[in-house]
Amino acid sequence: MSDVRCPMCSTPNPEDAEVCASCGARLKPLVADQPSPQGPSDWEEKPEPIEGEEPEEEDWLRRVRAEAESELPEEEVPEEAPEDAEAPDWLGRLREAEIPGEEGPPEGEVPDWLSAFAEEAGVEGEPTEAPEPDWLERIREQEALGPEEEVGEAEQEEEDWLARLTEEEEEPPEQVFKEVPSLEPDIDWMADEAEAEVEKLIEPEPEFEEPELAPIPSEVSEFKPTEVPEVALPEFEMPHEVEEPEIPPAPEPSDLEPAEIPEFELPEVELPREIEEVVEPRPSEIEEVIEPIEEEAPQVPALIFEEGEKGPPDDAPDLDLDAIELPDWLADLKQTAPPEKGPVEEGPPDLAPATLPSWLEAMRPIDTFRSVVEIEAEEEQIVESAGPLAGLRGALMAEPVVAMPRAASVSAARLEVTERQYAQAELLHRMVEEEDRELPEARAERGRLPFLRWVIGVLLILAVALPTVMSLQSGEGFPLPILRPRDLDPLFDLVERASVDQPVLVIFDYTPGYYGELDAVASPLLEHILTRGLRVATLSTQPTGPALADEMLSRLGENGQEYIHLGYLSGGPTAVQLFVASPREAAPKGFNLPEELERQTSWESPILEGVSRLSDFSMVVVITAGPENARTWVEQASPWKGETPLVMVLSTGAEPLVRPYYEALEPQVDAILTSLPAAVAYEQFIRSRAGAHTRWNAFGAGMLSVELILIAGAIYGVVGWLLNARRGKDGRRIG
Amino acid sequence: MIGFDYLGIAVLLLFLGLLIGFAAFGHRWPMVLRSIRGFDELNTAIERAVEAGERVHLSLGTGSVIGSDSAPALAGLAMLSRVATATTMSDKPVVVTAGDGAMALLAQDTLRAAYERAKASERFQPISGRMLGPTPFSYVASLPILISTEGVSVHLLAGSFGAEGALAADFGEHQEAFVLAGTDDAQSQALLYATAEYPLIGEEVFAGGAYLKVGPFHLASLRTQDMVRVLIVALILIGTILSTLGVSL
Amino acid sequence: MRVRTSLIWAAAAVIAGFFVLLGYFVDHQVINNLRLVLIRWAVLLAAVALFLGLFNLLSVHWSKVSEQVTGWPYSAVLILAFLVTLILGMVFGPDNQVSLGLFKYIQLPVEASLMALLTVSLAVAGFRLVSRRRDLFSLVFVGTALLVLLGTGPWLTGGESSFYILVGQVRNWLVQVWASGGARGIVLGVALGAVLTGLRILLAVDRPYGD
Repeated sequence: MSDVRCPMCSTPNPEDAEVCASCGARLKPLVADQPSPQGPSDWEEKPEPIEGEEPEEEDWLRRVRAEAESELPEEEVPEEAPEDAEAPDWLGRLREAEIPGEEGPPEGEVPDWLSAFAEEAGVEGEPTEAPEPDWLERIREQEALGPEEEVGEAEQEEEDWLARLTEEEEEPPEQVFKEVPSLEPDIDWMADEAEAEVEKLIEPEPEFEEPELAPIPSEVSEFKPTEVPEVALPEFEMPHEVEEPEIPPAPEPSDLEPAEIPEFELPEVELPREIEEVVEPRPSEIEEVIEPIEEEAPQVPALIFEEGEKGPPDDAPDLDLDAIELPDWLADLKQTAPPEKGPVEEGPPDLAPATLPSWLEAMRPIDTFRSVVEIEAEEEQIVESAGPLAGLRGALMAEPVVAMPRAASVSAARLEVTERQYAQAELLHRMVEEEDRELPEARAERGRLPFLRWVIGVLLILAVALPTVMSLQSGEGFPLPILRPRDLDPLFDLVERASVDQPVLVIFDYTPGYYGELDAVASPLLEHILTRGLRVATLSTQPTGPALADEMLSRLGENGQEYIHLGYLSGGPTAVQLFVASPREAAPKGFNLPEELERQTSWESPILEGVSRLSDFSMVVVITAGPENARTWVEQASPWKGETPLVMVLSTGAEPLVRPYYEALEPQVDAILTSLPAAVAYEQFIRSRAGAHTRWNAFGAGMLSVELILIAGAIYGVVGWLLNARRGKDGRRIG
Repeated sequence: MIGFDYLGIAVLLLFLGLLIGFAAFGHRWPMVLRSIRGFDELNTAIERAVEAGERVHLSLGTGSVIGSDSAPALAGLAMLSRVATATTMSDKPVVVTAGDGAMALLAQDTLRAAYERAKASERFQPISGRMLGPTPFSYVASLPILISTEGVSVHLLAGSFGAEGALAADFGEHQEAFVLAGTDDAQSQALLYATAEYPLIGEEVFAGGAYLKVGPFHLASLRTQDMVRVLIVALILIGTILSTLGVSL
Repeated sequence: MRVRTSLIWAAAAVIAGFFVLLGYFVDHQVINNLRLVLIRWAVLLAAVALFLGLFNLLSVHWSKVSEQVTGWPYSAVLILAFLVTLILGMVFGPDNQVSLGLFKYIQLPVEASLMALLTVSLAVAGFRLVSRRRDLFSLVFVGTALLVLLGTGPWLTGGESSFYILVGQVRNWLVQVWASGGARGIVLGVALGAVLTGLRILLAVDRPYGD
């Protein structure tokens, strides 16, 4: 005994098993004898087939064969399969489709387009122009053995029958599904009901003439060849070598969990040649059948119209339900009376309306989706004219329904929005709107006066300006220094010992910003040098250096007689290196030469006569504010200066970095002069009252102001620190 | 007759060997960088500036490219490559200023390379790298206009500054910008300590490339600096002890 | 084989730097002469770069004036002063009295005033330092600055008191020992950083001239 595979879990089970041993799914579908007025519950109450009786699934097949034999006597009718008594379960499922009383979706839940199909079920012979599928073509080819008229009839029967089958497969879950044995490997598990419907479909159809379509039973009249071409299968016997396909029975819906959709696969069966011929219709015959229908089938307007072609009227509904044709069996969904169940001769089988299993019904979204589509009669169903479903009836109209927008006939899904979500959505909406909105140009903020900065600035200005305004003489305000810094003695001695035959090289290596300080510090030294009769040659590595040198020396001496400018030395430290090695080549020209040296160079001045190296100068004085410049001259000049002393005149800030050169065991700097107090002391030493003395009171007042400001700031900061620490908060920044 | 400065060559080879060795094999010894507050908050400040549509300004100082004061500016250019990459797609990309013409040209080249790496060459503007003034104070005098008109919210000073560096930092503080300032001059560092919100003391300005993860050689440079510094400290201590003991060197 | 131009620039930079560096360690006539040549080329290029920088300055401010962005009047004044100074310098020369007058009465006072502004800024920063950065080092900083100022500037009470002498000596000790030593250490560290920055450029790891 061959095993039966469970449609749910594919577990092999004994053939006589009712339910699956693994998952409990029903292996043998229940076959109901009487139609039940109830809906989905009928899925759970299927009467079991009574053993001993002829299986009902064989009735429809026998009827088809009988019809075929009577109509096609010359046909080579294949023998009926000896396994008719043991019809495969898929047939059983087809038979189950005729269970009376099984209703499809409740009234009012049938889609409109299906309703339209039902209304149009009476329309016969409507033409269609949609191409037929391949399987239909194969069915048609089997008509090649018979006369054309009979073939046409058979084709028509085949087309109708198969069309019904196919259409049932394409129905929504609420509707009846069909199985196409061995031709359609995908069989929906809900084919239980389709089985009953198919029995009705396989009723012998009345004869129809070529080329016109014979009147077909009401149940099948809705089917048009273009939708599901029906092909009447002649009776045949399955050859012995063809194995009976082991098709596991469709599981009972009651045995299935709502979430489980069984995978049901038909084993592939290699059909014998006879069957293939039967199922292979000739394309030409199909076309003949299709052509007359083509004229009559309602045409679905295309979405994209060609030029000159009118589009659909504006007020035309998106879905013309009246034009939709429904097969007969769909039309039966509207009938209240259960379809008759009896011999085939009494009429086409009534297909029970599609019913949903309970678990599927439970999955239906509540209040979010209501199918308002009613199943129409077959003759009212629209024949699909475009797309892969062309020629089929009862197909969901893609263009009118999906592509073209339509207002929802039922309320849209209600989305529960919380207040917070609503507020967030509003916020996002406002943000997006603001992006597009042009904001008016904001007025420039009025500048706030930095109070602290202004107070300190005014204080310092007053401190520096008042002594000058009051014309305080030196000594009347701040006392002059009494003690002479120890750095002044070596400097004084150097200047006193310098040879008057050799000029002094003074380098102005500072920017105009330091002019105020360095002019005051360097003036006493330069005054002393010039007073002794020493002549000065100036040089600078800054572009503004020569101008600064001229500004200072023009107050102290005479250009060309007491001093001469060598000019600007470009190149930074590299240029210094070049100059100390060869001064005449590095600084060939000069700056602001006197008239007697017009069109000449500074080296032709008598001041620089006999000078060709750095060591030819009597002294080298570097006036700078930056320690880098000082270090550069110290390091570059030391190898070349020989015995010539090197003196540094520095800003107060550069002193820490240059002093080590002066205080080293082998000093590279011979003297240093830094800060205004030292300059005042130097002026006192040379008995002069020049620039340094005039700045002494202002200098003192300014220093005192800054000291007081720093003390106040420190006290303010510490007090605030303590208060914040007590309060335990972070302090505010001031300003 | 060829004379060799063997000591100088040895020191140079020591530097080169350590630098290349740490760059090649330094990944075997993970390096932990001490926290420098300015670099820690620099990324956040730049991101905030980019999101707020504000500008980042990098100042390369007033030093010349051919002098010894070019070193911190070259370190600033290494930081610029990282900063420019972060602000490439900003509405207001980074602007670089210098007090030297050659340094401004190098800044333009660095910016162009950063934009090319970010596949945004069309967004590069040559005026993003500019010279503000030939003298230090004329350079600093142009900063307030630049900071206020171009919406600068991140004010980086990485170059050679004199006393004017304090003024430059103070201009940034006055505009309530994020001010990170570093230079090579010790005197200027003292002034920057008082005026800048995030001062870089000592040679921290040269560590900017390592902290911004510019490349493995920058981390290797830090390691080399540390190792040579330890060596110098050891030599100083030894020399001090020997001098104290009366041993003449 | 297509050669990237960036490789050419990198090769030029590396070769030039190598020979200049070699000239400091190898005393050879050819190498010394080559080093001097390269240094002179660098000086010339720096001067040309100054011209380019000035041209860049002019173009930036010209675009601001033409587009009338915020602050364009200042740019207009700058351009006007630039052109006037340039024309006068080219006509009369840089050492003419006219040029010297421009320098003496305009540039000199302006830059000196900026230095005075620095003084105010430093005073404000000193006042806010402790309140803004509340740590021990800020207090030490302010205290040291106060001591140096007291030891440098004159006192109203005169310079004869022993306390004034003591403060002066403390100031000298701070400046010549602590500040000098600390500055030396900073300079050493800066020198190390500068050496390695230069080596990275010589090895073409850092390419500020573009990739």
